[in-house]
This record gives sequence, C-alpha cells and structure tokens, in this order.
Amino acid sequence: MEDKFEKLAKAYKEGASRLKTWSGFEVKEVYKPEDVEGIDYNKDIGPPGKYPFTRGIHSDMFRGRIWTKREVCGYGTPEDVNGRVKYLIEQGQTGLNVIFDLPTNFGIDSDHPFAEGDVGVLGMPYNSLVDMEKLMEGIPMETVSMSLIASSCSAPVVMSQYVALGKKRGLDISKFRGTIQNDPAHHYYSGYRDKFLPIDVMVENAIDIVEYCARYMPSWYTMNINMYDLREQGINAAQEIAFGSAFGIDYVKKSLERGLDIDSFAPRIAFYCSAHIDFFEEIAKLRAARRLWARIMKERFGAKDPRSWKFKFGVHTAGCSLVPQQPLNNIIRVAYEAMAAVLGGVQSLHCCSYDEPICLPTEQSHRLALRTQQVLAYETGVASVADPLAGSYYIENLTNRIEEEAVSIMNEIEEMGGMIAAVKRGWYEKEIEKASLEYQKEVETKERLVVGVNEFTIPPEEDTKEEVHVTPPESITKQIANVKKLKETRNKERVKKQLDILYRMAQEKEKRENLLPFIIDATSSYATIGEILGTIRMANGLSYDPLDIVKPPF
Amino acid sequence: MNLKKKTKVLIAKVGLDGHDRGARVISQMLRDKGMEVVYTGTLQTPHTVVKTAEEEDVDVIGLSFLAGGHIPHTKSIINLLNEKKLDNILIILGGVIPKQDIPILKELGVSEVFRADSGVESIVKHIQENTRCNPTRNS
Repeated sequence: MEDKFEKLAKAYKEGASRLKTWSGFEVKEVYKPEDVEGIDYNKDIGPPGKYPFTRGIHSDMFRGRIWTKREVCGYGTPEDVNGRVKYLIEQGQTGLNVIFDLPTNFGIDSDHPFAEGDVGVLGMPYNSLVDMEKLMEGIPMETVSMSLIASSCSAPVVMSQYVALGKKRGLDISKFRGTIQNDPAHHYYSGYRDKFLPIDVMVENAIDIVEYCARYMPSWYTMNINMYDLREQGINAAQEIAFGSAFGIDYVKKSLERGLDIDSFAPRIAFYCSAHIDFFEEIAKLRAARRLWARIMKERFGAKDPRSWKFKFGVHTAGCSLVPQQPLNNIIRVAYEAMAAVLGGVQSLHCCSYDEPICLPTEQSHRLALRTQQVLAYETGVASVADPLAGSYYIENLTNRIEEEAVSIMNEIEEMGGMIAAVKRGWYEKEIEKASLEYQKEVETKERLVVGVNEFTIPPEEDTKEEVHVTPPESITKQIANVKKLKETRNKERVKKQLDILYRMAQEKEKRENLLPFIIDATSSYATIGEILGTIRMANGLSYDPLDIVKPPF
Repeated sequence: MNLKKKTKVLIAKVGLDGHDRGARVISQMLRDKGMEVVYTGTLQTPHTVVKTAEEEDVDVIGLSFLAGGHIPHTKSIINLLNEKKLDNILIILGGVIPKQDIPILKELGVSEVFRADSGVESIVKHIQENTRCNPTRNS
C-alpha cells in the first residue's frame, strides 16, 4: 500500500515528459511577441485565400464548404467494395476513396501464382474493366468525386479503366471530378526499386496522365503526391513536406520538359499528407507546406494562375501512431489528429479506424471513423472560422521553423540533383532508417511515452476483445475464377490487336506519343492490368512478368 | 558450454507486402544487441527465405507481416523447413497480426508473435531463452 501512495505522490508532482515536438524541435516554456518578430503579415501570412495561402486556400474555408469526408475503402471483390462504399455514402461520406490490393499495385493479375494470399486483402483487385464496372455499379460517375489510390506502375491502367468506363456509359468525362494518386516514384521509395518498371518509365507514364487530363478532364486531380506514406516510414514533419515538395518539383520539371504550360497542369496537383499526434506541430506543418509550395510555384516556376500556387491536400491520420494494446484509445488519437488536420485547413480527410494496428476496418470501426469527422464538422465549431490559430506566437514561430528546416533539406536534395536522384542513390533510404531507428530507441528508453506501449499498459488478458474484419475466403476464390473466365471468354483477337498497338507505341523512344489513349483502348477491349503492364515492360526490353513466372499470353 | 557463434537471425518479408519499416528497425536493433542479422528485403518467396536460412545457418527466422498473408506464407515456410530437417530454427513473427490468428500460428510451429507494442527487449529475451546460443556470451 505504501508503494502505491509513493507512486501517487510522485505522479502528483510530475511535469511534462518531453520538451520537444514529435520532430525534435525544442520548445520553450512560453512564446511571446519576440518569437514572431520579423514576420510580415501580408508577405508571410496573408488572409485566407490569398498568396502565400499560409492561412488556407479559400477565403471562407469551411464556412463555404466543409472538407470532403473521404474514408479509404477496399477489400475482397469489387462487389464487396461497391457494397461498403454505398454503406458509407448512406452514412454521410461525401467523397469516395478506393484502395487496391497489393497484386493490382504491382500490376499483376489476381490469378498470378505470386498473388496468392494477397488478393483482395489490403484493398480490392482491379484486373480489368470488369472490376471497374462492378465497383462503380449504381454510382453516378458525373456527380461523385472519386479518389483512386493507385501505385506508380498501376496508375495509368487504373486511370484508363475509369475513363473507359465513363466512355462506355456515354458520359462526358470532362465533368469527372476526382483524384488519381499517380506518384511515379512512390514504388521506388517504398523499397521496391526497379522491380516492376524502371522509375524513368513510370515518370513518363505519369506525365501521360497529367497531359491527357489537362486536355480532356479539367476537373480531375492528375497527381496526388503521397507525403503520407513518406511520413509513415518514420521521418519527421519537416522531412515530410520537404521530400513531398521535392518530388513535386521533379514532376513539374518533367511536365514542363513535355512542353506543357505550367498553368495548364499545376492547379491539378494535390498532396496527401499525414496528420500525426503532435497537435500544434502538425497544424504548423500544414500551414508551412502551403506557404512553401506557393513560393515554389510562383517564384521558382513563374506560374501566373493563382490556382497553380495553392497547395491542396488530403489528410490521412497517422496509422503508425496507433497502438494495438487497448485499441479503443486509438479513437482518441484519431480524433486529435483529425482536429489538427482541420485546423490546418485540410481539403479532404480520411480518419483511421481504431482497429488499424490489428486488422482491416470492420463496418462498425469504419462508421466510427466517419462519425469522428461528423462530430468535428457539426458539433465542435472548428469549421466556423478560417485558420483560427493564426497569430498565435507559438503556431507562427513553429510554422516558420518547420518551413526553414524544410527549405534547408530541400537545398540538400537540390545539390544531389533532385529527389528522384536522391532516392536512386540511396540517400532517402538512409534518412528514413536513421529517423525510424531514433524514434524506436526513444520509445524503448522511455524518452517518449506512448500510452499502451511503454506506459499505462495492462496485462494482455485484460485487454479489449478484438472484433476483426476478415475478408471472406470465397470472395478471393471468386475473384481469381472471374479473371480466369474473362481471359477465356473475351474477344482475344481484339485484345491482341490493342496490345500490339500499345507495344509499338511504347517502344517508340524518339517521337514518343502519349500512351494513355492506347491504354484506354486496350482496357476497353478487356485486356488485364497484368497484360497491359507486361506489354509496356516488354516494349522497354524487360521480361513480360516482373516476377518471371507468367509467360505472355499472345 | 555452447561456444557457438553469435546468435544469427534472418529477418524476412514474404509476398507482395512492402511495409518494411518494422523489419528494418528490428534488424538494426537486434544488431545493436549483439546479434548477427540478415535482412532479406521485400518480395521473398517461402523458398528463397528457407534457402537463405539454410545458407546463412541461422538460429532464428523473424517473419514480418503487415498485409494479411501471415498464415499461408508462414505455413509454407514451416513445411519447407520441416522437409529440409531444419526444424530447430526458432520462428518468430511480427507485425499486424490479429489475436485470434496467434493460436493458429503457434499450432503451426511459431514460437512467439510480437506486435507493434512489443519492445525489442521482449524479443531479445525470447530469443535468448529459446535458442541454444546467447548473444552476450561472445561479447
């Protein structure tokens, strides 16, 4: 008993455990006017909706329109996802967001021998136009805003499937609103290097999407740079926006080399950011990211259209901040992170489900994630005032420090020849290893306290019973059978003809045409993702199958 | 007294799952604890994992899964190890593993399953208690 009272006495006197932000910026006891000295309101902050957009990209922010509630969804078959998407729409979701399974992300079909065990598990399979048809069954493509989360190599095919379906339905694709991830270095920096397609080929294919949409789909976001996945690998807030912006710079340069006018595509670039657990730092990071990108686009690239200067972003709350023990605590973490995203001026938001460190979301946990957004939007009052924390000595000081740090990192990247070059030479890999190791050590030594990890833990037997989502095994069997059946029943001559044309076009190096119209034709003839990307691989002198197991069908 | 070399651990990622932050961090932290660690990188097959384990003569195989393929892949690896009479290798798992799958994995022959909230100390302790070698012996 005495021990308990000693503990109580000690706990009563405890102070803050760590006097740094998550990213390691030392913080002072109190911030005062001198901490914001030198800031010129009009030049460095400005009103919401005005350059450099520190306070948000719209003058009225959420009073005009609340952020898009866009919960990520994907498992099992396209029919399963269609059902879950419709459920989320009924529950008040305002934008769709579908993620693909790993085989699709690697550009192989569900019936590929290496795909076994991964079909329909981490997302849904997109083998052919049939899958897109089933996914979008009963969903009006001209009125919804669709977000397609695709990997670097699969993005041109997935985009083509969406366009091909719109054309098949006889719709006006220029009215389509949505986003394709299309971040061509993503695979490479995620540890896969050139296993699937060389990075330079992926970049060219990505710019095809940018060019095609700039012409035919003016309301579509053609590039969504995935800062979130960068952050999940363990880097800090300043690194997140520095690396993401540096990738953006590389893609902009490539688009300009293609002969595109900066203002024809820059307004359709978006970013996917993390909202981590350090509340003020995340808000400051998002404000700094906006100012940083505005300056890059206006001052460096000379964009004239103010829409090109705006850093538009979606947020995914930080999956890596969630803890498997006492999983209900994650509801609290997600709520704080979502509020930071909103105070940071987010355009679209995905809240993690509390069971994310355990399994894919169940219907109940998915709904709760959406409810987290709805409580924020309609009850807390945070949507009523644009950038309410502006002018806070601490927030403005931290916004400056994060931007300065990001600029310094970007200068280092610039010296290496840009972000893609830095990734190719292994610099990025070293940076993430250093950062994630340092974090883990701080947790192990209790320099950082994480509830349910190194403090306030409970014995496993007392923990909450976990209800987990299980992808029905029959969904996976059905999907594999469907792909096999499609390959037998479609017009093979037509598929072969379209793949031959695509092969010739992709082979052309001197006067390379935009491949997207040919990929759209191929997918319209029901060629699969494996076949289309296999054809592009062969045209680039590689084997048909990235894993060297499957032989070309034609 | 067993004067065998330092404990040798193979950390492996099987299948298409590319989330390898945990695998890399654990590799480095086990090295810091005095073990010899080989990391396979991503996209391994059960065959390549077992082949590497055999060639490197490892004491422990640590499999990392964050994408749901833990049961089929682990099963294939354990079957291959048994075929090759390498069943003395300690198998541990880490990552996003639902609790109800843990008994199934243990039934297959997995010694322990660690999740994101398991500290490195608990992993080291488990390895020390369950392998014939001790990382501190040679130090």
